[in-house]
Formats: sequence, structure tokens, C-alpha cells
Amino acid sequence: MLALKSLSKHFGGVRAVDGLDMEVGKGEIFGLIGPNGSGKSTTVNLICGVFPVTAGEIRFEDRDITRAAPHVCLAAGIARTFQNIRLFGHLSVWQNLWVAQNGMADRRTSGFLHRWFAGSGRARADVERLLEFAGLGGKAEELAANLSFGEQRRLELARALAAKPTMLLLDEPAAGMNMEEVAQLRERLMALRDDGKTILLVEHVMELVMGVTDRIAVLNFGQKIAEGTPEEIQNDPLVREAYLGAPQSAGDGHA
Amino acid sequence: MIDFVQNCFDGVMLGSSYALLAIGFTLIFGVMRRLNLSYGPSIMLGAFVGTLVFLEFRAGGLAVAAATVVGAVLVGIYVERLCFWAIRQGAAVASMVSSFAIWMQLEEVVTIAFPDRTYPFPPLTRTEPMDFGPFFFKVENLIMFACAVALTLGLHLLLYRTRFGLRIRAVAENPDAARYMGINIAAVTFLAFACASAIGGIAGYLIVAQDGQITPLFGLWATFKGLIAMMLGGMGSIPGAILGGLLLGVVEAQNIWYLGTEYRDLCAYALLFVFLVFRPGGMFGHTLAERERLALRRV
Repeated sequence: MLALKSLSKHFGGVRAVDGLDMEVGKGEIFGLIGPNGSGKSTTVNLICGVFPVTAGEIRFEDRDITRAAPHVCLAAGIARTFQNIRLFGHLSVWQNLWVAQNGMADRRTSGFLHRWFAGSGRARADVERLLEFAGLGGKAEELAANLSFGEQRRLELARALAAKPTMLLLDEPAAGMNMEEVAQLRERLMALRDDGKTILLVEHVMELVMGVTDRIAVLNFGQKIAEGTPEEIQNDPLVREAYLGAPQSAGDGHA
Repeated sequence: MIDFVQNCFDGVMLGSSYALLAIGFTLIFGVMRRLNLSYGPSIMLGAFVGTLVFLEFRAGGLAVAAATVVGAVLVGIYVERLCFWAIRQGAAVASMVSSFAIWMQLEEVVTIAFPDRTYPFPPLTRTEPMDFGPFFFKVENLIMFACAVALTLGLHLLLYRTRFGLRIRAVAENPDAARYMGINIAAVTFLAFACASAIGGIAGYLIVAQDGQITPLFGLWATFKGLIAMMLGGMGSIPGAILGGLLLGVVEAQNIWYLGTEYRDLCAYALLFVFLVFRPGGMFGHTLAERERLALRRV
């Protein structure tokens, strides 16, 4: 589904991502973990076309998207959320979702005029469904800036889904959440996988990563140091060393 | 007292054209956070296209209006490509400075192509003023006011009731997030710029048709009136642009009546000075800045 081939990004002399090879299969929840500054967010930003790739290749569904602009990546079916929430604070909750319905799925199946006239009913139904999914049913008219932190995080997830992507890039969706919210997020991610979405999950909260992913890749200093199932990763000596600097038990609590 | 009220009416109608100019300015500023000094001159060039159509083909009012608007939009697009799109990565002040350069260029083009400087422009209507009790209204003023109200309503519907308008607002608020939500920023800013130029073209037509003549100086005049009205209201705010335009119109109308025409522009600058000293953000500027601060903190 998504393949990174010896992907590199250098900022001046800093090798933020250094020859990364990674492949995410269809319908997988793939975890990307690593200490702070290991290049996880940079990888996400490279996939979305935020800044140009130094070297290497990004392929999505057998299409080269290495140099595609953000809106082209979204049209191809990749949507994302942000580590720091970036909603449209002056727009209401439903407007945040409505304005994000820019995916290609609708454009392929209906003409311009049809979308203009008949499309709005379906768009409305989609927004209702997303509000329901995110647990924001009663908050449709609220301004996004007035939502609580947890609600804003859920709205971000719903907004990414509004474009009907086939793949989701989630950049630390559980940051700042309490245990109960993390459990809810886990349920939502499971539901999305059952729905056929592929998810790349960048996360520090290990309960979530170990509990929900199918496979995990570990980055350190821009390079992949391990890849495997959650069990394999938890027992990998290199990973323990990268996280803890000493041979102890990894995988408990916040890394 | 009757004079004062009559002046207020006249001022509101005059101000409605300032409001349209200010709306165009504020739309561009709101979306790009950049100032387009060439806004007035591009409208002026559009009006000269209208004059050309009028002189060459003896065309009627509607054709002249259409030519003016199309001309203003085409020149507006030229300005957008050169001063905004081409240097979109550069500092905002670079766009402003180059729009000033393009202003000079546009004025040169007009003075070379139209060497007589002052050209006739077909009036909106030759109907006599209408009486309402002690007050009277010029019909072309009423038409201008009605057009301004209709345009403002149309723009409001566009911005708040359509997906395209929502995209404009999303880009204005958070260009980064908008980009990752799949909004084509280049297309949205281009179309917003074209909208602003079309509004400017209509406003320009209404004003020039009232004057009955057009000179290259109209560009300077339109940029000044639009800028002052926008700054009175608060940059980037559409309600502010409307109120700023109306306030400027009323103050000017009172001054023309009580002090004489020669003080008309002086009082506009005096009004701007007072605002810059006591309320530098304009009427709606403070709330806008506060909302932005709030948005930055919460979102």
C-alpha cells in the first residue's frame, strides 16, 4: 500500500531521516515509534509532501508520490492529523468537517453539476456520520476553538476522515489524553481498521501502540533499528537500549 | 437639521462605493495577509477598457459595465500572478512593494495608450433627482447604494453558505491546515483575488459613471479611499470594511456641505489620523486580533 524506499531528509547537516525503508500493507495498523527527535514526524511530513525529499522514493498504491504536493497526496487517498492540533477555530465543528471533504472518491463517481446539486445531501449525511463516530453529536454548531482538548483531538480525527481517505497518518493522536480517552481512541482505531482503512500510527503512548498495531518499526537518529510485531519489538535489545539506554524492560508506560 | 440628515443620506450612498472598494481590499488582505496597492489602478485600467468600448462602439451602459469588470479582473489576475503568486514564498512586504511598482507601470500604460488624460464615461442614468418630502435623492446614487447592498449580501452568502466560501475562510484562518485538508491554496487565493477584482470593477464602474469622466488619477483615488475605509474598519474584516466605508462617506459629505469641497480629502486623512492614534486596529480590528490570539492559544 505505502512503500518508502531508502527515504532521506537532511536539514543542513542533520540527517532527520536517513535511508529509511518501510512498507505498510493494506488494512494494517502500522506503528512508528522512537525517541524524541528520531525522525518520526519528519517521515509523516515527507509522506504528505510538506517538504521536499532529499533522496529516495515514496510509493502509494503503486504510484510515485515522492514529489506530490499536500493536496495531491490527499486526493490520492492519504489524510493526516497533526501532533499540535490545527483546527479552523473560527469555523463550527460541522464546517470543519464540511470544508475537509476534498477527497477524490466523490469526484470520480459524479460530475460537477451532480455534486453541486445532489451532492450536498450526501455530504450532509457524511458529516452526520463523522460527528457520530467522533462522539461530537451535540456539538455540531459549536466553534472548534471552544471545544475541550479531547473533543478537539476527536474532531481532528474526524476531519481527516472527511476526505474519505484509504490511508490515515496519525501523528501522536493520544498526546495529552487520559487513560479513558486512550481506550476510546483504541476502539475507534480498531473500528477504522475493520472498515478497511490503513493506518500509520506515530505515537509515544505505549499502551496504545502495543495494544492496537499489527506491526511496528522503531526509528533512532533517522534510521530504522527494528521492525516486527509488538511482542518482537518489546523484546528487542536494540530497542530497549535506544529507549532506556540500559538493558531493562521496555514497553511500560510513557517512553 | 434637514441639511445634516440629507448629508447623512448622501454620505451613506457615497460611502457604499467606498465600502465596496474596502471589501475588495480586505478580501485580498484577509486571505493572503498581503496588501495590494495596485488594486485601485487595476480598476482604473478596467474603467479605461470600458471607455474604449464606449468610444469605439457607442456601446450601452451594460456593455460598458461588463467591459469595465472584465478589464479589472484581467488586470487583477496579472497583478496576482506577478506580485503575489510569483513571490508567495517571499516576505509580505515584497508583495506590497512590487504591487506599488506595478501601479506605476499600469499608470504609464494608460497615459501612453490614452494621451488625452480625461475621457468621457457614459452616465448611469439621466433621470432627474427624486423628492421625498424635504429630502431629495439622485437616482444614480440610489442605484449605487442598491448595487452595493446586493453585492455585499451576495458576498456574504458566498463566504458563509457555500463550500468555496468556507474554503476561503479556512485558508484565511490556517493556510497550513487547509493545505493538508486537500484544499488547493493556489486555486482558492486566485479565485478570491479574482472575486475582489470583480467587486472592485463593479464599484469602479458605478463611481466613474457618476463622475461622467475617467482620468489616470482614478487609480490613486480608488486605492486611497479603499485603504482608508479598510483601515477605519479594521484590516481583514468585512463588516469593518462596510462600516469604515460608510463612516468615511458620511464624514466627507458633511465636510463638503459645511466646509467646502476643497476639504473633502483633508478630512478623510484627519479621520484616519484620529483612528490610528486612538484605535489603531480600526473598529473591528481589536476583536479580530483578540480572536486570533484566542485561536492560537486554544487550537
